[in-house]
Amino acid sequence: MTDSAGDGLTRLAPRRDSDLARGMKRAWRSLVAARWPVLALAILIAVVVVAIFGPAMSPLDPNRQNIMLRLAEPGAAGPRGATFWLGSDALGRDVLSRLLYGARISLLVGFAAIAVGGTIGIVAGLVSGYFGGWTDDVIMRLGDIQLAFPFILLAIMFLIVLGPGVMNLILVLGIGQWVTYARITRAQTLSLREKEFVEAARALGDGTAAIIFRTILPNIVAPLTVIASFNVASVILAEAALSFLGLGVPPSVPTWGSMLAESRDTLIANKWWLATFPGLAIVVTVLSFNILGDWLRDFLDPRLKERG
Amino acid sequence: MTRTRLLAAAGASALLFGTTALATPPADTIAVGLSADITTFEPANISSRDNANIARHIFGTLYNITGEGVVTPDLAENLEISEDGLHYVYTLREGLACHDGEALTAEDAAYTFNRAKNPDNKFTGNTPGFVFSSIGFESAEALDDRRVQINLARKNPIAFGLIAEVYIHCKDSYEKMSLDEASANPIGSGPYRLASWTRGSEVVLEKVANPNSPAQMERIVWRIIPEASTRSAELIAGNVDIITNVAPDQIDAVNASGTAMVQAVQGTRRMYVGFNLSQPFREMPGGEAIQDPMVRRALQYAVDVPAICKQLLNFECVRATGIVNPPNANQSLTPYPYDPAMAEKMLDEAGWPRGADGVRFAIRFQAGRGRYLNDVNVVQAIAQYLEDVGLKIELDVMEWGSVYVPLIRQRNVGPLFFLGTGGALWSPLYDMTDLARVESGTNYTHWSDPRWFDRWADIAATDDPAAQRKIIDEMLQVFYDDGPWLHLYFQPDFYGVSNRVNFVARPDEKVYLFSTGLK
Repeated sequence: MTDSAGDGLTRLAPRRDSDLARGMKRAWRSLVAARWPVLALAILIAVVVVAIFGPAMSPLDPNRQNIMLRLAEPGAAGPRGATFWLGSDALGRDVLSRLLYGARISLLVGFAAIAVGGTIGIVAGLVSGYFGGWTDDVIMRLGDIQLAFPFILLAIMFLIVLGPGVMNLILVLGIGQWVTYARITRAQTLSLREKEFVEAARALGDGTAAIIFRTILPNIVAPLTVIASFNVASVILAEAALSFLGLGVPPSVPTWGSMLAESRDTLIANKWWLATFPGLAIVVTVLSFNILGDWLRDFLDPRLKERG
Repeated sequence: MTRTRLLAAAGASALLFGTTALATPPADTIAVGLSADITTFEPANISSRDNANIARHIFGTLYNITGEGVVTPDLAENLEISEDGLHYVYTLREGLACHDGEALTAEDAAYTFNRAKNPDNKFTGNTPGFVFSSIGFESAEALDDRRVQINLARKNPIAFGLIAEVYIHCKDSYEKMSLDEASANPIGSGPYRLASWTRGSEVVLEKVANPNSPAQMERIVWRIIPEASTRSAELIAGNVDIITNVAPDQIDAVNASGTAMVQAVQGTRRMYVGFNLSQPFREMPGGEAIQDPMVRRALQYAVDVPAICKQLLNFECVRATGIVNPPNANQSLTPYPYDPAMAEKMLDEAGWPRGADGVRFAIRFQAGRGRYLNDVNVVQAIAQYLEDVGLKIELDVMEWGSVYVPLIRQRNVGPLFFLGTGGALWSPLYDMTDLARVESGTNYTHWSDPRWFDRWADIAATDDPAAQRKIIDEMLQVFYDDGPWLHLYFQPDFYGVSNRVNFVARPDEKVYLFSTGLK
């Protein structure tokens, strides 16, 4: 069975391993040629490693307060012979340890919110685009209604009602993203549902669910991947903003956004390390996701790059 | 430097200096930066200190009590109290006028009291919720144009001071307004009237034309600036003249600015962790444990209050021994020391040993964010101390105005909660009046110990100050031993004051600007 439908789209047949390997090689060559994405990828791998192994790497308990050692400068002596390499915060907690733990929450929120929003949006977009008619109208108008509200206002409203917490944060940020995925998926589905290979699947007796999820979905993964890579960055920023407003996670849970928020009262007193390090972590991570997303878009859709 | 950069720098400088110049208050205006938002101008619904500070400039009271406890007349010039202590007759000054132009008479004063008591209005402010429930207010009546009589259900030695907190307003205007209209259109008799109110942003008061007015400035602008760093930055930039609640970590920056200094005052606000002892909270995790006075006493030993004061509030404090401010407290009581080993021993003896996971019991600890000095850090530090002796704390820090305050008003926070209640230095009974009755709106813990509540009748029954003092000390001993508060500290107040004004801070958090002017 061939993998080509004559229009460059993927068919049901599994890819041969050699195809996959060839694709990976091409991607790597493109990545290396572009240079900046390599650095971005390296940074993101480092952040993921920190997020996974943060607890083992943390020199101190990130939540252990020691108010007698509060606001210690970077490099100052910590408790029991330890060193506050990045200083201590207003409650004497180790900034480095909180930064390492914060990576976990920030990435967890970023990826989980995309998973929630992406799943809802993709399913809604597939259903909307495939069935059309009133189903399409209802789903798309719901999306329009949601887009009529500024997202951050909507998130604040939800979080005041639901209360802060990691799960609620993921839910709110995820729901805030579904419309983007739904619109792109719908547009792609509308064009694909009339293609010959979909007709062929229908003629072969595939059910509606099989056509939607096994025939159409694999063909729209590429643009969705690009959107998701950009979206992770914006969700991390949104988490930071909501935590900064005190609506993110409880005060004992370190996230980069909440660390930044806690630095407000001491910034005017020149305790620069409290804002600088979490701020840098957010900037570098978000920038890396954006650079990688940019490259991914060019790689998966070279026509865009040609158009400049 | 390139021409572009030069232009950019010049533009930025012009913008910066231009903005600063535009925002500096004019010579006839004083600007104040407050940390908490204003919710109402309905005189019978006002309860928060920031709200009351603004309202007091609009509404007069019968008498004044200064921060040092000195009594001065305001709208009234004379008071007669009946033999049985149940009838207070105030004589108003001549020539008083409301902001609506009508004469202010005894009828207006009587109307003020009776309106606040009317259950149809469902008011929950300081007047009905604290003053009336404490003094047992029955009714008020105008005896003639200038004399108003206040009738009480029971004798109360500090009724005079409590009645002095009631904002007098004007009958004709208020009878014409709905309750909604009244909450935004105050008609009082004070030296200032409301010029504009932009919710969540600012309140502007303008001076009422009156040759006898004590007011110095033509306008007072109260700006709501919840974020402490922004308040300090605004003060340093000269955009406001006075700010409340300077964050302890910003004191040095303000003092080094050359434009303002911080005035530190030992305040009278009593900060504590309350134990909610009501039935619904008893059924929550940890709720049963804190019913036991021994557990509550054990937890007193678990928290290092002087360290919290010194490290997080930037001042040296002596830990509170109870509900009454130090000059009037039971002098035989010594503050609970920080002794975690004692706390653990007592918790073991009370039947709450550590489990296999090291936890004795879990409990929720609720607090509001941004109202009190460094409050979020203080509650986190307290939670850490309690966890150190084996409690598992679920810390729930909420938005202050719209989430925490409604819960507090319904006495529905806990099982542990962080709160501060305003106090005074002129009488121990004023501070104790929060717990005048089990059902008082200010008994947030639902504490009901008869060794406290039954003694109010004994106090009312005697006129002998020494006998009263003895009863007070006995009550405070009960409160110290088995009370519903984990005692913390009396909150210091840090006011940032611009060098251009002559404001002097009071110990009771009252920011009254009648006599404040430019230097």
